[in-house]
Amino acid sequence: MNHVELTGVGKSYGGFRALAGVDLCLGPGVTGLLGPNGAGKTTLLRIVATSIAADSGEVRLLGRDLRGGHAELTDIRRRLGYLPQELGYPGDMSVFGFVEYVAVLKEWDDRRARHHEVRRVLELVGLADLATKRISRLSGGQRRRVGLAQSLLGSPRLLVLDEPTTGLDPAQRATLRRTLGVVAQDATVLLSTHQTEDVAALCERVVVLDGGTVRFDGSVVDMVATAAGRVWHSDHEVPDARVSWRTGTGRHRIVGGSPPPGAEAAEPTLEDAYLLMLGPDALASPA
Amino acid sequence: MSTTGWHAPPALLRRYTAGDLDAVAAASLERHVSRCADCRGGIAPALDIPGLDARGLDAAWSVVRERVEAPRLPLVIRLAQRVGLREPTAILLSAAASLRAAWLSGAVVVLGFATIAATLGDQRIWPYLLVAPLIPVLGVAAAYGDADEPFEALAVTAPYGRTRLVLLRTLGVIVSTVPVAALLGFLLPGPSWVALAWLGPALTMIPVLLALASFIGPRTAGAVVALVWSGLVLAATRGAEQTWPVAATQQAVYAGLAAVALAVIAVRARLTHQIGAAL
Repeated sequence: MNHVELTGVGKSYGGFRALAGVDLCLGPGVTGLLGPNGAGKTTLLRIVATSIAADSGEVRLLGRDLRGGHAELTDIRRRLGYLPQELGYPGDMSVFGFVEYVAVLKEWDDRRARHHEVRRVLELVGLADLATKRISRLSGGQRRRVGLAQSLLGSPRLLVLDEPTTGLDPAQRATLRRTLGVVAQDATVLLSTHQTEDVAALCERVVVLDGGTVRFDGSVVDMVATAAGRVWHSDHEVPDARVSWRTGTGRHRIVGGSPPPGAEAAEPTLEDAYLLMLGPDALASPA
Repeated sequence: MSTTGWHAPPALLRRYTAGDLDAVAAASLERHVSRCADCRGGIAPALDIPGLDARGLDAAWSVVRERVEAPRLPLVIRLAQRVGLREPTAILLSAAASLRAAWLSGAVVVLGFATIAATLGDQRIWPYLLVAPLIPVLGVAAAYGDADEPFEALAVTAPYGRTRLVLLRTLGVIVSTVPVAALLGFLLPGPSWVALAWLGPALTMIPVLLALASFIGPRTAGAVVALVWSGLVLAATRGAEQTWPVAATQQAVYAGLAAVALAVIAVRARLTHQIGAAL
């Protein structure tokens, strides 16, 4: 069953077209959303999170039509978890207090069940020890995990995460991957990130947005395959390369263009495929 | 749940319960025990208290944990709970800045000074007429943020709903500020109807603020409403009766304004039904 069904979805802000005719169907599993700044990723995630309405097209979430009225909308939101790109935290709230506040917004009215659920999600993100600490005293990565914890309340069937790995160190990112791996066994997870390695490690499927339209929609393996035979290591820079940079070994990694003399074929990565698809602009702002 | 797989040996637990561990070792063990049900189970035998079993200790632990982890709600909210406010509602109200003791006590002090000014000397009641309607209005403006603010984004996508949350906080502010202002109003010199007449503009400015806030955000809307009301009251002090802003003819205008504001909110609700965030 598809938990997310978008058909011809469009959204504009004034004269700026953020999304145009986006078609997308997502079922259980983790889907990564990639694209340069301004590609429409956050707009798409906000529409799927029911934070904003699309200007055109049809949006069906968890089998319900968003235009169906208040009851349908509330039913969707009861089974939805959302981590916005930026999440404000009142400075004097404790970790437990903040997550409990969101739990009440999610209609966890019974105190005992609510507290149990808050402890469960804090345990999931590794913050159980910091439950009584004020959020203002946490590091950026810890705050991001508080945000992630609130999104996991109630084991949502649809989880929308806007750049969940921002501010996390490698160990925390590895923990997040494990957590999302478990969550995605039953739920549909849609996340955006500027870390292509996170997408490669976490996602079965990748969607690339550019200029408000879908440039690629397929498996990670298929996307990596688009770069096969188009990535080399060379001692020299190549002027017609799509993108190239000097690596730590002193050699140049050449992505796209024609192979330079003496170049060795390199194993392509998701980042290579992404750069080939979007060019140097993506390298400058890979979000 | 333990994350390390390590468990405290019974001898260590006995030394801990006997108070024989140094501060660092005890703190470390406490940190482990707080997360490890197995080791908490080992505390009861180590204590050697007749009648205390693992279940009893677990129950005690739950109570302690509840007390420590669950945040203490603001005084006003706790008082409201004593007269029947439900706990989930109390938690939602406690996040509103204008329902905390600091804001409310500040509001009472300002109202108190305005009332005292009116009772002194030449019976100037305009400071009270200026402040009394603005206290609930500014309280509402401070009780919630713009829908696009990061903290508010969660309310928009939660089943509880942002509109409901904003209205709940608005009601909370009205209930916590209006009775105090009305009581102080009865201390004013002059006609007794003035003590309640300010409710007209106050109850008009709140829907006007909510309607405006849906376009320009609550902070800016609060500033606009406060400026307009201040201008009106201060202008009345130059040439008109001090009570002119709350006179009967003006009350009819306020009623009309309130109706327009409510209509705007209703139209917004219809237009934004797809996300249910009219306010």
